[in-house]
Amino acid sequence: MENHRVKDLMVPISEYATVVVGTSLIDAVKALEQAQETYTTSKYQHRAIIVLDVEGRIVGKISQLRALKAIEPDFTANSDIEQLKGFKFSDQYITQLRDLYRYRGKVMSKESLRAASVKKVEEFMQTPSAGEYVAEDCSLDTAIHRLVAGTHLSLLVTRDEKIVGILRISDVFAAVFHKMIKLENEPVNAP
Amino acid sequence: MKELEKLFNRIVQRVNINLREQKFDVRPYADALIPPDQMSKFYAFYGITPDHPLDLHFENSALAGSYFLGKCRVRNSLLYKSDIRGDELKRKDNTIQFGDFALTLNKDEIIDIEDSALVKTLVHNYSHDPETPEKFFITDTLAMDYANIHGSPTDGSFLGPFATVDLTTMRDCVIGSYSYIQAGEISHQKVDPGTIWVHKPGQFNFLYKYPQDILAHYVSLSPDKVPWGVLIDFIEERKEQFQRVFDFVNLDAIESIPETASLDRYAVVLPNIKIAENVLVSQRAYLENSTLGKGANAQENCFIINSCLQGYNVTAHGAKIIEAQLGPYVFVGFNSFLYGKKDSRLTIGTGCVIVPHTIIDIDQPLEIPAGHLVWGLIRNKEELATNSLSLDELASVESSFTKGRMHFEGKGALLVQSFKDRIHHILEANGAFFANGENAGHAQRNQKLSLNTIQPFQFGAKAGMYPSIRILP
Repeated sequence: MENHRVKDLMVPISEYATVVVGTSLIDAVKALEQAQETYTTSKYQHRAIIVLDVEGRIVGKISQLRALKAIEPDFTANSDIEQLKGFKFSDQYITQLRDLYRYRGKVMSKESLRAASVKKVEEFMQTPSAGEYVAEDCSLDTAIHRLVAGTHLSLLVTRDEKIVGILRISDVFAAVFHKMIKLENEPVNAP
Repeated sequence: MKELEKLFNRIVQRVNINLREQKFDVRPYADALIPPDQMSKFYAFYGITPDHPLDLHFENSALAGSYFLGKCRVRNSLLYKSDIRGDELKRKDNTIQFGDFALTLNKDEIIDIEDSALVKTLVHNYSHDPETPEKFFITDTLAMDYANIHGSPTDGSFLGPFATVDLTTMRDCVIGSYSYIQAGEISHQKVDPGTIWVHKPGQFNFLYKYPQDILAHYVSLSPDKVPWGVLIDFIEERKEQFQRVFDFVNLDAIESIPETASLDRYAVVLPNIKIAENVLVSQRAYLENSTLGKGANAQENCFIINSCLQGYNVTAHGAKIIEAQLGPYVFVGFNSFLYGKKDSRLTIGTGCVIVPHTIIDIDQPLEIPAGHLVWGLIRNKEELATNSLSLDELASVESSFTKGRMHFEGKGALLVQSFKDRIHHILEANGAFFANGENAGHAQRNQKLSLNTIQPFQFGAKAGMYPSIRILP
């Protein structure tokens, strides 16, 4: 059976839209659009932006979900709410608070959108956690386990200490299920 | 390598090992913290009294400018201008109630500091951990300027400047600058600067977090720098006044202090001060042009300037009251910064509770009505409206409420009662209610205290270290 490695499916880091810390949300989104236009001939569709520090190291990423969270007027309050669990507040209290903030703030208003557009990427980017890295020579099994266990939409692919690519859940999904469909048409005892 | 440097490196390593899970490296903070030449510059001193057990044990440690009282053991540690006060430790045969357990002590409690560096840190009260009722331990810990370890056994932790841990056992935690934590027990937690958390499981939970950018104006911390900000500047500007009281062995006694009041000889008192009966002024307190009414107290590291406290006021450790008028029974919690100005005075009504680590910084006169709980950052009337609530209203809260950046869950009446009980206990312990020879507290007992000094090695490999020594009655 064909054995995919992570490097076979990853998107090289050079194909990704990158911004540096300090960039505003609106400029980050423009960078993403520009990247998509540049790579219309490319096989990759971009749904995330990589955030680099001043020395060019990856310090975070912004998915579409993160960008949408950023335009919620109470994003700061929402991130505070997420911390309340660590301070022993009950699930019931946290749920009530979320409902309250949702009720107070409309997302699709000029004020909200304008306020969100100037937010800095580091305010809402997702910083990579320990389980979000995978080596380029790892098997797809390992990568699938990390994606599922951490409920990640992508993994950062490493070669030695360096990040060389992104492994997206959509590419892993496609590879796995293409294989499954192919197997459906094969005899069970085929080599 | 000199002994002091070896000791310092060892402590840093011990703290870092404990905080490895938090990925927190204390070394950059520690390096800027203690200039080695300062360690041989100041003497250490200890109090002897007829009322407290005496057993001081120093081993392989540096103690510059630090003060000790009661029973205390310091091993492989570096203390700089810290205040280790063992006058509230539990005694042999005391019984303490913890839930269904009645624990009787089989020996006097001791403060036990090992492999730690404490800078301008206060260590007071007694261990509230029922698992170690006879030992108030502080191990593998680095505490920065004006931190306060109050009744809180602490292991493997870092406290930023002006951080307070109160009645809480703490293991492997990082407590950010100007945070106040009273939560019973915490472990492996990283707390952002300016977090005010008062939690009594099953009863109530109070949380407020300062906006980080504004807090940075008052206290900031970054690696390789000593802390800075308005709070640090405020203290630095008055530092010289303390020099005089520490330079002289005997100062002239200040007259016109009532017999039932106590004014520590290591307090700074500048004209014109009026002190009424049963007042307690602790060491390292700073008083200038102010009145302290009957039963008021000014605890360690507090500043009271151009203010009037009408009586039975608690000014807790590190609190600062400037250009203010406080009605009777006002409680000002640890490290609060009440910063009125000459033309913008602050008036606080009877029985108000200023939550620990509150900042009131005003450019217009401000009046806080009687009987209110006040917290967080207040710079004007609008912020006062957001960050305060009447105690009656709070007592009627049955489940939860949120106001501004504050979250509360539980029964409000229990929080109100908890504050009232504690304030009463503090006043009682400090001797505020002393009358006809009864209800004596620190204000009366501290009059029977005398002080001895200990000097460090001045030369050689041990410069800055203190001789290993045990002091018994």
